[in-house]
Amino acid sequence: MPPANGGFMVAAYVAAAVIYLAYTAWLYWRSRDR
Amino acid sequence: MTATQSAERALKRGGILMAVGLFLVAGVYVRALLFTPEEATQGLAQKIFYIHAPSAWVALYLAYGVVGIFSVLYLFLKDPRLDLLASSSAEVGTVFTTVVLITGPIWGKTIWGAWWTWDARLTATLFLYFVYLAYLVLRSAVDEPGRRARYSAVLGILGALLVPFIHMTVYLFRTLHPMPVVLQPGRPRVPGPMLVTILYAFFAFTVFYFGLLARRYAWARLKAERAQREADGGDASR
Repeated sequence: MPPANGGFMVAAYVAAAVIYLAYTAWLYWRSRDR
Repeated sequence: MTATQSAERALKRGGILMAVGLFLVAGVYVRALLFTPEEATQGLAQKIFYIHAPSAWVALYLAYGVVGIFSVLYLFLKDPRLDLLASSSAEVGTVFTTVVLITGPIWGKTIWGAWWTWDARLTATLFLYFVYLAYLVLRSAVDEPGRRARYSAVLGILGALLVPFIHMTVYLFRTLHPMPVVLQPGRPRVPGPMLVTILYAFFAFTVFYFGLLARRYAWARLKAERAQREADGGDASR
């Protein structure tokens, strides 16, 4: 049976989403009011 | 059409491509989490791979590759647009490397039992990250555009030279980091549904990178043109 490590998966997916969304939003807003 | 109008259009196009890329990356989440089977020995943590590996592909090979190539071209041609493209790619690459360096240890903790190990690939990737952080700090510390471009081109090339070394680490050293499972000679050793997810993820993150790069570069061009106009005394017709 595979190990129960879904929490690690969720942590990694959430961390990646936060970083990518934060940078995309920052880039979008900063470049808008250039 | 003036240079500013052209850059403004590029900014809009970059925004659209960025949104498309984000949408495709959201598709990776859906596909990986809901429609890809759980791996038998590693469990759900194996799915971190679908974020980690494509991010590493974009950061190391695409983003820092672009930095290296356009930095070399800048040193030969001295066209400021080449410097702006290289620096935009360095910034975007640093964001992707941040994700690589966060998702990797999370996977390592559950599979290896340790958040970090000083093995060749991990250590070299961390040093590469520091080189490009230094690159970005250097750019903000030098005001004169010509000198800033020249210094950062040299540092950008030196950083990019680390990439082939990082690629070879899993072959040259006894490292804990897994060998390539898709980009390897012969057939990939991955079952069909997982392979589809991996290939789609590589595609989605690549589009996302080009979207971010296009937007960042267009913004950098607009800022450079505005600075030039101010230096020329407000002549907006150029």
